[in-house]
Amino acid sequence: MSACGNPATETDVLMERRPKFDKSRDCVKCKTNRGNIVIRHAVYCKECFTPLVSFKFRRSLEPFVNELPQGPRRKALKASGDLLLAFSGGLGSTVLLDLAYQAYFANRHEEDRTENQQGGKDHPRNAPIWPKGSICYVEICSAFPGMKDRTEKIRTAIASYGSLDFIPLRLEDAFDNSWWESVGGRPSPSDLEVDLSNEEIFISFFSKETIVDPVTSLRTFLSNLPTHTAISRAVPTLVRILLLYTARSTGSSHLLLGTSLTSLSVSLISAISQGAGFTVREEAQEEWASLDVPSPTRKSVRVIRPLRDIGMKECAILCWWRNLNVIGKEKIPGGKEDIANLTKDFIVGLEKDYPSTVSTIARTCGKLIPKAGSARKCILCEQPVQQGIQDWKSRTSIRTLDAAETTSDVIEHSRFISPYLCYACHTTFTSRSSRGSMQSGTTSVRLPVWTGQHLMDAQWEGTNGDGGHEQKNEVWEKRRAKEEDMKNIIGDFLLGDTST
Amino acid sequence: MPKTCALCKKSRAILKRPKTGQQICKECFFYVFETEVHNTITESKLFQPGDRVAIGASGGKDSTVLAYVMKTLNERYNYGLNLFLLSIDEGITGYRDDSLETVKRNQEQYDMPLKILSYDELYGWTMDAIVAEVGRKNNCTFCGVFRRQALDRGAAMLNVDHIVTGHNADDIAETVLMNIMRGDIARLGRCTLICTQGEDTIRRSKPFKYTYEKEIVMYAYFKKLDYFSTECIYSPDAYRGHARTFLKGLEAARPSAIIDIIHSGEAFEVSEEVKATQKLQQTCKRCGYMSSNELCKACTLLEGLERGMASSGITERARKRLEAEGPAPDSLRTIPFFKPPSGNPTVTIEVPS
Ligand code: SF4
Ligand SMILES: [Zn+2]
Ligand SMILES: [Zn+2]
Repeated sequence: MSACGNPATETDVLMERRPKFDKSRDCVKCKTNRGNIVIRHAVYCKECFTPLVSFKFRRSLEPFVNELPQGPRRKALKASGDLLLAFSGGLGSTVLLDLAYQAYFANRHEEDRTENQQGGKDHPRNAPIWPKGSICYVEICSAFPGMKDRTEKIRTAIASYGSLDFIPLRLEDAFDNSWWESVGGRPSPSDLEVDLSNEEIFISFFSKETIVDPVTSLRTFLSNLPTHTAISRAVPTLVRILLLYTARSTGSSHLLLGTSLTSLSVSLISAISQGAGFTVREEAQEEWASLDVPSPTRKSVRVIRPLRDIGMKECAILCWWRNLNVIGKEKIPGGKEDIANLTKDFIVGLEKDYPSTVSTIARTCGKLIPKAGSARKCILCEQPVQQGIQDWKSRTSIRTLDAAETTSDVIEHSRFISPYLCYACHTTFTSRSSRGSMQSGTTSVRLPVWTGQHLMDAQWEGTNGDGGHEQKNEVWEKRRAKEEDMKNIIGDFLLGDTST
Repeated sequence: MPKTCALCKKSRAILKRPKTGQQICKECFFYVFETEVHNTITESKLFQPGDRVAIGASGGKDSTVLAYVMKTLNERYNYGLNLFLLSIDEGITGYRDDSLETVKRNQEQYDMPLKILSYDELYGWTMDAIVAEVGRKNNCTFCGVFRRQALDRGAAMLNVDHIVTGHNADDIAETVLMNIMRGDIARLGRCTLICTQGEDTIRRSKPFKYTYEKEIVMYAYFKKLDYFSTECIYSPDAYRGHARTFLKGLEAARPSAIIDIIHSGEAFEVSEEVKATQKLQQTCKRCGYMSSNELCKACTLLEGLERGMASSGITERARKRLEAEGPAPDSLRTIPFFKPPSGNPTVTIEVPS
């Protein structure tokens, strides 16, 4: 901003509108048919549109199918394991399921396979890319009162994709030791509990009684988070880990998510707004290896978003033209107080006026890499943790005057879990809304089943933090001020009588 | 029952801190506000003892509070800085006149030398005259380009090593979002830097990088600092961009959003392959100021004004039309050649009596 406070002075800060479509109304591809749809300024006809979408889908997926990247000579596509498709019932995952099924699983019958084997099973064209595929759905209804269980509805909806297995999960599995053991997780000797009522520090302790039922644990966990934003980040975080461990335990080399270009832009901006800039790359694609002991069959899972070049509008049109039924995703309550929601409204609105914004966002973020090295992985979300975040936080937002209380990356004893959390997860637990706390008041909160073992395994290195602040007196003259104007801006933050 | 301060645990809390939501007392607010700026300055080793530092002063809230805090910290922590106020007079009747009064008052109150540099003396054009020529559409483009260069030139005249500006955390978070949405990868890499320096220009830094706009207003309010808050009469209607409105919504949902965005912006960088394709800086062949083209932006705009084709600095088409009319005449009025700081001030400055 310039001295005058006008952002328009940064010469080209304003975005330019472009005409709705370039040149002509005819399809840019076949150049003969009248167009039926405009995608980011380019016109396409119906006949050219569907192949275009499948092309974009394959382009985002197939270079990452083989374990090692394709060399100059194109080799046959062969994954090192099976395929897991995440399905939420939303628009994106409906399109993903259909495209993936048509491309890799349809027209594949038992008889064909045996016949092919006789004909020459080593011929790459005869070998399926993924021997087996499964669909995983995570039901979140137990987390929120009044939400309907849609597992059966989903089961019916995907019945036509017969050759794919269905794996229904529930959000509360994240607090269920039996689920954790079923996916090969090492049971930790005790559960990890933290005190979220503390402003600066969490004190963690291990409780011996583990007979809390998973639904109660899930609800206590969510209701003790300080903001709606925190809840709407926590749910997908849990879903993500549930999917990843499921992928690993089913021997899947690939986990596909139905994130469209539009939703990718939304999650990028939302992640950045929650302090997760360090992991923007993982937001688009990641190679996940468990923090837990590697499974004997599978070391890492490649998470791919094959719709990341296909906008929401294109998904909707594809569904319409291919007659796909979209069940829809349950919305996490939160409204205007939820950063993920706000971002979605903002980006979807922006996409209407400036259709190329979403691809610009994704492209820009694709050019970014994390600046510093990573100290460790976050015990909650298993994403890389940037070094020095506790020092950074205490330097830029002083929350305590007592030097001894200042959290730091140093841990003398395992009283704090802050150093084992990434910036965004730490912020999820500690950052409050301006409207006061919405916490339920329970002091001890059980964390998801994987955190206990992860914390015990975590290795730490020490650096010295400091916090000694000396306050000296200052003498300064007082002057007139336009109190009214100032009060308008800061009025909400003044408590009662503020006369000086 | 009145709440006690969450920081000192002694005094009565009288405000809720916009950045953290903590309920604290006035003294603790001053302490955390000032100490965070001090932390920003020391952590990035912004200054050396003996540095000559100009505060870009507009009379608005950010720079007024910045001048006060810089003076306070300089004395409290013995930075050993020579502080100056540097003001740019755009030549906007009724707007800059009044805000310059505020700056002049600051000069006396803070006992700092003040240099006012006007567009008129540097470019031969006031904003009033430019608006009369170009109308109300692109006036801010001219103003922004001219201001940036004027600040550097003013700093060179004062022979300062460093300009500090009042850009606050809200501005920086907004710029991060804006650069991502516009795909401006070069600016994205630069915008979270606390200090930037061109080849031969003066260092520019933002000590308020982590300071919330709301807290700057709050600080001015409790310290009873007066500032000038009227909008420029030439300010366009679409004043706030999309990104600002969005940012305000995020802040309302969770106040830490502003600093969280800055943290994100600091956590990533542009990958090396992308960096390699970026444009190199050179110096303007006409005025010696840094530029990414043969002529710097200010010279381009000025030539358009002088030759009666103001839009040639704005659109490609108008630029071509100007070029078709032949090269710039020798008699063309230009900006004096830029001389980086040489060791001695080249102007006499107004020292407060
Ligand atoms: S609003 Fe006024 S002072 Fe600000 S850039 Fe535009 S013309 Fe200049
Ligand atoms: Zn995390
Ligand atoms: Zn206090």
